[in-house]
Amino acid sequence: MTNNHPFREGAKDALPVVLGYLPVGVAFGLLARNAGITPSEVGLMSFLVYAGASQFLAIEMIDQRMTWVPIVLATFFINLRHFLMSSNLSLYLKNTRLSLLGLLSAQLTDESFAVATSNLSKVKNNPHYVLGLQITSHLAWVIGSIGGALFGPFIKISEYGLPFALPSLFICLLVFQLKSVRHFGIMVVGGISSLFFKWALQGNWHILLAALLAGGIGVGVEIISGKQKAKGEKQEGQG
Amino acid sequence: MREETLAIIFGMAVVTFLPRFLPMAFLTRWVVPERLKMGLGYVPTAILSAIVFPILFFNEGGKVVIQPLYLLSAVSVFIFSWKVKRLWASVILGMLVYWGLEFIM
Repeated sequence: MTNNHPFREGAKDALPVVLGYLPVGVAFGLLARNAGITPSEVGLMSFLVYAGASQFLAIEMIDQRMTWVPIVLATFFINLRHFLMSSNLSLYLKNTRLSLLGLLSAQLTDESFAVATSNLSKVKNNPHYVLGLQITSHLAWVIGSIGGALFGPFIKISEYGLPFALPSLFICLLVFQLKSVRHFGIMVVGGISSLFFKWALQGNWHILLAALLAGGIGVGVEIISGKQKAKGEKQEGQG
Repeated sequence: MREETLAIIFGMAVVTFLPRFLPMAFLTRWVVPERLKMGLGYVPTAILSAIVFPILFFNEGGKVVIQPLYLLSAVSVFIFSWKVKRLWASVILGMLVYWGLEFIM
């Protein structure tokens, strides 16, 4: 097996993510600079943390003169949602070296996860595909952030429909997931409960809670219908 | 670079890495029951819908709103990607519809 090809394939599939990350990265770099973070610090944060929502929040908190403890705590809770995505991807990456898994998981984001799950046949036992997808996305985020910190005031990021690039990406990938009536049901439960949790709670809990609820229902439905099916087959066997 | 900022960056990096890494590290070394695996197949749908709906129905200030610009663009992308099944084309279409509607509205 050549490792080169799946890596390139992954990099190619990352391009829609790049389109979304560059302007958002620029916006982040711009805001971070305004909050007094230097361009090299911006680059380091985007490289090491690589989690958009928490980075924006951190900038806001730094701007309000908060110390590192509350910022790190808030980051933990915002990014806790990734454990569900990590659990899901683990199903397709058996027999992957632990060091490579470390690299892959460090670059796991909502967007790269979304693209990966819509290309599961390419992901299956093919960590280099995921690597290509994620390194390309990560690079776009770091470059966008540094670019925004350096040249922010000269760039127009709210033009050309760019603010809708990432929402479009998520909607399209959601559509790709809708393979059955059950998936539609899960979408409705996940979407509406997410709205409810966001409305009812402060912060960024809604994605994790809604995904746990809807995903939990999905697992429950599968297990129950599996048992009924097994029961039905048993009865048929007896009859 | 300043110490306080470095502490923030490294702290954030560590707490972000752990929930990304630990499930992958352990679950790849565990045989997952078939039914659970099928159930976990719904997780992407659950996560994506939990991300998408709030984008459409909340404004930047965190208030619940009806935003025709977002909703119309979203419906266009939804229908287009349902029919055409291409990620790239759907993202470009979404941007174009949004851009166009911005002029009209």
